[in-house]
Amino acid sequence: MPVAVLLILLVSGAVGFVSGMVGVGGGFIMTPALLFMGIPAPVAVATGASQIAATSFSGIMTQTRRKAVDWRMGLLLSIGGVIGGSAGVALFERLLRLGQLDLIVSVLYLVLLSSVGLLMVRESYRFWRGRPPKSVSILRRPLKSIAHNLPFRLRFPRSGLYISVLPPLGIGFGIGALSAIMGIGGGFILIPAMIYLLRMPTNVVIGTSQFQVLVISSLIVVLQSVATQTVDLVLALLLMAGGVVGAQIGARVGAGIKAEYVRGILGALLVAASAKFLLDLVIPPEEVYLLGGGIG
Amino acid sequence: MRRMLAALAFVLFAAAPATAQQQPGSDVAEDLPAGVAEEQITVSSTYGGSYITVFGVNPDRRGRGDIVVVLRGPTEPATVMRKRRVPDWQFPFGLWVNGDPVRFSEAPAFFAVLSNRPLREIASPESIWRYQLDPAASAQLASAVPAGGDPSAYRAALVRLRRDQGLYQWYSRPPQEGVRGGLTAYQGGLFRAVVRLPANAPIAQYHADTYLFRDGRLISRQRIPIMIARVGVERTIHDLATNVSWLYGIVTVLLALLAGWGAAVIFRRP
Repeated sequence: MPVAVLLILLVSGAVGFVSGMVGVGGGFIMTPALLFMGIPAPVAVATGASQIAATSFSGIMTQTRRKAVDWRMGLLLSIGGVIGGSAGVALFERLLRLGQLDLIVSVLYLVLLSSVGLLMVRESYRFWRGRPPKSVSILRRPLKSIAHNLPFRLRFPRSGLYISVLPPLGIGFGIGALSAIMGIGGGFILIPAMIYLLRMPTNVVIGTSQFQVLVISSLIVVLQSVATQTVDLVLALLLMAGGVVGAQIGARVGAGIKAEYVRGILGALLVAASAKFLLDLVIPPEEVYLLGGGIG
Repeated sequence: MRRMLAALAFVLFAAAPATAQQQPGSDVAEDLPAGVAEEQITVSSTYGGSYITVFGVNPDRRGRGDIVVVLRGPTEPATVMRKRRVPDWQFPFGLWVNGDPVRFSEAPAFFAVLSNRPLREIASPESIWRYQLDPAASAQLASAVPAGGDPSAYRAALVRLRRDQGLYQWYSRPPQEGVRGGLTAYQGGLFRAVVRLPANAPIAQYHADTYLFRDGRLISRQRIPIMIARVGVERTIHDLATNVSWLYGIVTVLLALLAGWGAAVIFRRP
């Protein structure tokens, strides 16, 4: 890995800073940052999972003290996630052998970053225009959803729910698979899903999602180490160091700034990053040949 | 007994020319006096590439002929793909995707050839191909080239891509000002070849081959092994990752938990 150590520390620190300031996990910023630095997609995705494990474990320690983790729900999401994550790593390995992993990762990031980025910009713009965002309605969540009607219902005392186990398993599966292929924790998809689909109370959502993210990312690190050997321990340590410290500083700085403005700027950055992914896919390449079928 | 000896002699005599024909250039003397400055190169966690020095003497007393030095890494399978536009018809937006893979059953993972004047002036094209003095000569195509593809274009692409990564190198003159690397011929037939080994070069067994050419023909040669090996922490990490990969994964996760725990404790809010 002949990329300067200092540069990686700086970049991971900056990514950690931004994620701490906005309050997101950071996987969906870290992986593209690594890709733009020229780190091969398989290594970036697989190694990024270890940094996500570090960040989520740090978060869970705080959330457990506040008793804000629904362990039963977290376990159920994790079971779905373990299956989804294993399927994701198997698919990852297959795509790597076919030489198509970079393409799939690029397309998925293009879709993800542009949609998340545009949502953030829109939300920030509305706030700036003085219109409160619609997400206030989270507080007045409707009592019933599809999760209440499906079979195999189970009681979740911490969340005050009596719902079917199928939706949490399904959501866990989807997040696990995406996590394996994209190197994201998936909190920013998981949290809305828990609120809108499962109707979980907001105070346990973050802790519970971090629990699931921890289980999945840890599993992915081990599976990738065995299946593709693309986890780079030295790179992982640098990402953890930079990311964790950056996130703590970011959280302090972020406390004094209106979150909506920070989100607007981050949203614009994400849209710009997605444009880079799009251009790389659309512009005719100078070199049409490439070495494939491995991590080179 | 005598018949047995006669039979044995017959077998030996009959077999000898056959093996000689199979081995390319076994009529060539293997007496070129040469050596390497470092028989083993160690790769630690701060490794950023190194230099390999091969030296020797031209055995021709009158100093006739040209020396060619080739440093070869291990041969490994390789795949070259070609990007194509989807959809390929005239649509304003198209995505460039990887396709049309061609597999090489073996290609040198590292290759450097050094001479003090252009190789084509020293060795005939047949010799260059026969003794594999060019990386393209040692790349063996393993799968059929897709329709519309050109095998030589794939071979050239493999060489070009590896050259851009610094893994295939050509030196056809003595080291220049500011560039360490090249072949220098000294008085009395003494020569010294220096190759830059980049950090991304595979860590494995290498071979330094020295050749003496005269009038386009190979006169003498010598092969010297060079070992590139990991040491210390770098070696431990690599052994763990390849041999006990599940443990490597678990160690990485434990380190991640430790880092997360450390951050939560250090930055704990009052």
